[in-house]
Amino acid sequence: MIQRIFFLLVALFALLTFAGCGKSDSDSGSSTETPTIFKYSTEGAPISMDPVRAATKYANLMVTSIYDTLYEYKYLAPPYELKPRLAAAMPEISDDGLVYTIALKEGVLFADNACFPDGKGREVVAADFVYSFKRMFDPDTLPQGAWLWQGRVKGAMEWRESGTDYSQPLSGVTAVDDYTIRIELTQPYPQLMYTLAMGFSSIVPREAVEHYGKEFGINPVGSGPYMMKDFTTKLAKLVANPNYRDEVFKLAEHGYRPEEHAFTGVERIEGAKLPIMKEVEIHFMAEPVTRWTSFLKGSEVQYATMPLEQRHAVTESVNPLVPKPRYREKYNSMLIPDFGLVMVYINMDDPRIGMHEDPDQNRRNQLLRRAIRKGYDWEDRNNRFLMSAGSYFPGIIIPSLEAFDENLSRDTVTANFEAAKELLKEGGWTAENLPPLEYGAVTSVRSKQYFEQFRGWMEKIGYPTEKVVYRPFPNFGDYSKAVKNKEVMIMPMGWGLDYPDAENLLQLLYGPNESPGSNAANYKNPEYDELFRKAKEMLPGPERTAIYRQLNEMIVEDVPVIVGLMRRRANFWHRNVIMYPSENVHGSVLKYVKVVPESESVQPPQ
Amino acid sequence: MDREPEIQNKEPDSAPVEPRAKRDSLWKKAFRKFFRDKFGIASLVVVGIYFLIAVGVWLDVIGTNWSATTDASFAPPSSEHWFGTNINGQDIRDRALYGTRVAFEVGLVVALLATTIGGVLGCIAGYFNRTIIDEVIMWLYGCLDSIPFYLFVAAVAFVLQGNPYAMHIAMICTFWSSTCRIVRGEVIKIRNLEYVEAARAVGVKPLTIVFKHVFPNTLHILLVQATITFVGAIKSEVILSFLGLGVKNSVSWGIMLSEASSEVSGGIFYNFYTASIFLFILVIAFNIFADSLQDALDPKKVSV
Amino acid sequence: METLQYALRKFIYSIPLLFGVTLIAFTLMVYFGPDQTYQFLSKNPTPEEIERVRSELGYDQAFAVRYVQYLGDLATLNLGNSNSSGERVTQILVKHIPVSVALALPGFILSVVLGVSIALIAAFYRGTWVDKGIMVFAVVGMSISFLIVVIAFQIIFCSFYGLNWFPVQGWDVDSVGSYLSHVTVPTMAIVFVALGYNTRFYRAVIVEEMNRDYVRTARAFGASPVKLLFKHVLKNAMIPIITRVIITLPFIVIGGNIIIEKYFSIPGIGQVTLEAIISGDLPIVKAVVALTAVLYVFALILTDISYKMIDPRVSYK
Repeated sequence: MIQRIFFLLVALFALLTFAGCGKSDSDSGSSTETPTIFKYSTEGAPISMDPVRAATKYANLMVTSIYDTLYEYKYLAPPYELKPRLAAAMPEISDDGLVYTIALKEGVLFADNACFPDGKGREVVAADFVYSFKRMFDPDTLPQGAWLWQGRVKGAMEWRESGTDYSQPLSGVTAVDDYTIRIELTQPYPQLMYTLAMGFSSIVPREAVEHYGKEFGINPVGSGPYMMKDFTTKLAKLVANPNYRDEVFKLAEHGYRPEEHAFTGVERIEGAKLPIMKEVEIHFMAEPVTRWTSFLKGSEVQYATMPLEQRHAVTESVNPLVPKPRYREKYNSMLIPDFGLVMVYINMDDPRIGMHEDPDQNRRNQLLRRAIRKGYDWEDRNNRFLMSAGSYFPGIIIPSLEAFDENLSRDTVTANFEAAKELLKEGGWTAENLPPLEYGAVTSVRSKQYFEQFRGWMEKIGYPTEKVVYRPFPNFGDYSKAVKNKEVMIMPMGWGLDYPDAENLLQLLYGPNESPGSNAANYKNPEYDELFRKAKEMLPGPERTAIYRQLNEMIVEDVPVIVGLMRRRANFWHRNVIMYPSENVHGSVLKYVKVVPESESVQPPQ
Repeated sequence: MDREPEIQNKEPDSAPVEPRAKRDSLWKKAFRKFFRDKFGIASLVVVGIYFLIAVGVWLDVIGTNWSATTDASFAPPSSEHWFGTNINGQDIRDRALYGTRVAFEVGLVVALLATTIGGVLGCIAGYFNRTIIDEVIMWLYGCLDSIPFYLFVAAVAFVLQGNPYAMHIAMICTFWSSTCRIVRGEVIKIRNLEYVEAARAVGVKPLTIVFKHVFPNTLHILLVQATITFVGAIKSEVILSFLGLGVKNSVSWGIMLSEASSEVSGGIFYNFYTASIFLFILVIAFNIFADSLQDALDPKKVSV
Repeated sequence: METLQYALRKFIYSIPLLFGVTLIAFTLMVYFGPDQTYQFLSKNPTPEEIERVRSELGYDQAFAVRYVQYLGDLATLNLGNSNSSGERVTQILVKHIPVSVALALPGFILSVVLGVSIALIAAFYRGTWVDKGIMVFAVVGMSISFLIVVIAFQIIFCSFYGLNWFPVQGWDVDSVGSYLSHVTVPTMAIVFVALGYNTRFYRAVIVEEMNRDYVRTARAFGASPVKLLFKHVLKNAMIPIITRVIITLPFIVIGGNIIIEKYFSIPGIGQVTLEAIISGDLPIVKAVVALTAVLYVFALILTDISYKMIDPRVSYK
């Protein structure tokens, strides 16, 4: 009997093992068949795919794959240059910059879906855009992007305040006819075009919203290249939308420059009908190691970010990115900069460290902030945690923007513990009278390591260890609640730009935007606010750039925020995948991806 | 399985308990028996060494260098850094030593409080068996038992997120129930013994009986339960740290292992080896100790 | 019929338990739980917008009102929609529970079967080196942290650095083969961790049974020890074994195995629930808690009934 049980168990284990082997063998075979699936991966998952709530990069990826926006960024020049997507052409703009007239492509159909009569997708018309725009001002949809247009698009707030009746017009956004949209502004808004390329301004059919009700967020129905086939918290499966309009890829329209893009083999998709792949799987993988191991297997995900701990095993150098021959042979790779920055806000509302009524104390607090900044070792952060691939810079304006000032002194981003001690001394700060520093973060292994590194720096400028306090929050929601209630003293945060304009960064310190707005530092400087208001309505040009730089210098002077570092990630993809990846929030690249048989892989340059 | 820290009576039945007069001899016998058990002694020595380390850290004699950062990320073991350094160039030896202190803090606090609460409530419930008090206590642990452990702990830890002892409290809230259940069963037997009935007959107040005559007779169970709870607590700390619910301003083996979970695939094993070995030796020593203790204290129990 | 009546009566008795579980869970996870307000707001919200979202989420109401509403929803089986994705909670449960069950069940069954088998061997050879060897392995197995096992197994069996036999992550199951390939490594980890505990527990139970008088007597009369072990000892030891098995089952269905699901990126209910607790997605948390409590009560009733089936002398009192 015992023997029999044992035999059974051994047999069972053998079966399991055998089945496991069988599977991986069958997957790695056949290298000449044309693959039909692309397996993409991201580190986070979208929550809702309702465009009005597409506030994260993961949601935006899904939304811009499934829905159409009026404009989109060029595939090979994100996120700077726009081209028409659902719009037939670039808009006609009135001379005063207040009226935009946009023509739509004709004959574009929504994907077939049960929400339409007979299940057949109908044509997309201008009224759909008007409807979608109104949803952004309907509090019932819990919209997250209204701030982009609030106070700028005529009639939007009035429409909301008069009771969000969809049968009533919203004066600033109207359908002139089925294929013409008119947008009227209350003040010049040079960034408007960019907002029309964001997932927030996707065009949704009213039928789907009404048919799915609360579940619209997981049953997206759009006119974009892909349709949702299946969705879990770990995996989304997209299939090509058979109703998708005839879109043909042309290198010339997408900012192709051979010296920059040829290594991806992207010229091989010239003339291809989009979307190229019949199916796309998007794996949401929070554990970086799991994601990377899956990538290396070959049969699983085809795109991943190299985790920090792998850099010595995989690369000869990270910046510039040179993978070891073994990896270079099998994978294509690229350093992709974030279109944004990481920084550390200081709560200016907190009298222990921020602004103070007493001018003397105010001055001492400023010296304290400067001392902390002087001890904040961006180079060390960059070398230890960002593979030395990030770039750090003074001021809040990131280097990839035109307004970036190369001549700004790098003194404020160069750590010097002795100088920091001097600053503390100048302000009369001693180990006894220094205030406790409460460092907020969303709990994770990495944020604890960041904190310990920060505490290490603070120890070096003479801060007592026990006065540097870690204050982790279980999730981002609770952290932002505490931040919005002005309860956190030191706030490490990231910001991804919504559009390529420094205004999007400078508004982070605009007084009226103080918490619960996006001015988490609660910085209030009347001079700054005055100048910012002036710049906001100006058209791009040297005059505006000069003001932007002036604002930036005020930030450096007052230290409401310790800035800043732009990260770059080392991303890898299989050599039989033709793609030019992008990690920013400005739209999906999935429709351009082509997976070829392994025999036709893109070869590494010799 | 789901509840990794298996804290439960391994025994469906327990031996009857001797009346008070014989109790001293029980302890004496147990003491003798324990000291004949070589494994038991060895495990006690190991636990003792760990305890000394923890005391050393408390007194700031060893493990003082756990937080200072140095330039050498992931430096290999050397005379300066015995077990290497981590990403921040912090000394892994000192972090592991400091982790010993945290493990003892978690283990002792949770074991002491959870077994005390469990013991007291168990005595009361057992003594007032079949009354409303018993029902309420059974209801309470029934409720706690039917909520999945990690979800419950996560919820408690979030509620108390500002509190440095959130994790400890969460564990105490769940771990007392198994002790309570066992003690209750034991007390139900004790209360029917002659000496208790005699005390009742001469009119001793019920609470006096419970705490003066019944509770002391459950001490041997509590001792064993405390060691088992101790192990359960330090093992749970690892999982909770991995889920981001661990200690905040210091370092623990669980935090070291969570760091290691991303490092090992890159071939960096310093955190992994050090923390696993520290943890494994303490846990196995405690497990053996608990077994020997149980053998010694309860001769009728099935030895394991 | 008697059984049914008994089950019904038991269920009615357990209503206070259900009440207690929902109250505790509601207080902890819902009332004091995370606040989702700012997850639903745009970057520069106005105070009115904040109020609006708070009332949408029900945060502005009194504790009692919210709790009574919750009980009402449960009684009418109206579980609502997830706050975050808007998906129906019933749909979420239907989608994720089978994954957790399929993931955990093989490991659970194997660890029980193996545990009982090894325990039988140890008990049979009680006191010899076989027994001692098994017990040493059991203690060693018990002393290794689950997290270490999972990390090590994933590297050994699933990665490029090790044997690379199984998928690292995911749950893309459409055939028996793909199921086995996804479930094998988690199963091995579960068995590895549970086996030590199980062996010790079952051995104690069996040895206890072997010490009973009837066994001694039978032995004295020359009954075959092997036959005795299987025919009487195992049968009588079934009650504690079954209790343990049945009581653990609800947690497999609902609790899932959070560490495994997290580490192997498997969309099971355990991780869905943990994420819901962390993010404060109350409708999911409320449903899961209620469901676990109900299943737990069923398990309790089932154990009592199974006692009777195993041993007809047990009566429903």
